Amino acid sequence: MFKWSIIFENLPFLLAGAWTTLSLTVVSMIFATVAGLLVGLLNMFGGRVVGAVTRFYIEAVRGTPALLLVLLVYYALPIIGVNLPQFPAAAVSLAVCYAAYIAEVFRAAVESIPKGQSEAAFSLGMNRAQALRHVILPQTFRRVLPPLANEFAALIKDTSLVAFISMEDLLFKAKIIGARTYNIMSPLIGAALIYLIMTTPVMQWSRSLEKKVE
Amino acid sequence: MADGMTAQGKLLVVDDLHKSFGSLEVIKGVSFDMDFKERLVLMGPSGSGKSTLVRCINWIEPPSAGRVTFDGKLVESGKYDIRRLREDIGMVFQQFNVFPHLTALQNVALGPVVVKKTARKEAEAEAMELLAKVGLSHRADHKPAQMSGGEQQRVAIARALAMHPKLMLFDEPTSSIDVELIHEVLDVMVRLADEGMTMIVVTHEMGFAKEVADRVIFMDQGLIIESGSPCEVFEHPQQERTLSFLSKVLLA
Repeated sequence: MFKWSIIFENLPFLLAGAWTTLSLTVVSMIFATVAGLLVGLLNMFGGRVVGAVTRFYIEAVRGTPALLLVLLVYYALPIIGVNLPQFPAAAVSLAVCYAAYIAEVFRAAVESIPKGQSEAAFSLGMNRAQALRHVILPQTFRRVLPPLANEFAALIKDTSLVAFISMEDLLFKAKIIGARTYNIMSPLIGAALIYLIMTTPVMQWSRSLEKKVE
Repeated sequence: MADGMTAQGKLLVVDDLHKSFGSLEVIKGVSFDMDFKERLVLMGPSGSGKSTLVRCINWIEPPSAGRVTFDGKLVESGKYDIRRLREDIGMVFQQFNVFPHLTALQNVALGPVVVKKTARKEAEAEAMELLAKVGLSHRADHKPAQMSGGEQQRVAIARALAMHPKLMLFDEPTSSIDVELIHEVLDVMVRLADEGMTMIVVTHEMGFAKEVADRVIFMDQGLIIESGSPCEVFEHPQQERTLSFLSKVLLA
């Protein structure tokens, strides 16, 4: 049966897990955003070969479970000599996964800028890099924030996949409490509430930004 | 027209220019040339290829065939790279295309800062002068979203002038502007012409053409069908198509 007391008694333990979840999310998100911007730009402007390679990467990631990537990085990379500790392994796999989605966010934003903007930049004598840096990207900034916030909320949830490589994130801690107290319902609901506390403000923020952009 | 003799002393020589989009040929072999300080007005019904022609001159639309010689240099030969060409040719668009994330002042200063590596302070001082010239000193710190179409277009003109172009292209500069604000933009253009700016203007503004143009070129279906002084073209058109177009414009 559900008992509030189990949640409260184990709150510090759960919060420690939440801290792991949150720090993993932030670190992965930073890398994913930088890499996603890079991949998106390379995909759009890198020419045929680079465009095809980045397109393959994006589609491969989008077409496979994120969990597979997490397991691959932690359990399979050591076979070829790449031994990453838990946290970096988790961050790398989540960043590689989300960079693909974020690349598409940036691509959509760049493509949403009217063609006249780059034409005006070119007509002043700018090259493509200058037009991107000074005219196109600054305008995409406001448009990418809402979808990026959405990705951030999704990433908070997807970090729970690292329980599969025995990282003690929020979900994993909840399961430990469940095993210890023979009451799995209470800590799981406690974890759910903490996830909601983390994701709700982010999604609200995204929604209010969306309204502003419109 | 292609030989070097006639090209001498000309700012712009366009020789047998063609442009196709897929299987659709919108410019079917156009030739003309321009002297320094000459003011040319391009007219014609929509779909006649006049906007495309103007966009081919600074390679915003690369021509499919033909030769463009600007300031004595053949553009396509690689002697004169496209970016340099665009630095020397200012362009004003029908949709203004001002940069919405920048203030009027930043819009005007951006080209010199990014392309010519002018110091920001210096570029902004000159941008301020250019804004004064187009009557927008009081709008320097405003973003385009806070401005009328007429004001945005004047910012766009100042932005193009900031690069000190040798030629200004105007692609239907007043077509997207509320009727009562059109004169703001035309006034600026007339003043530019008076100062000796070489310009090609695509427009249906007959009054402007009569006042400013040294020559009117009339296009239809991708070809130049008539060319001459405003008086010749407007009052004694030789072609049936010119006449029927002019009567429609005058009625509008």
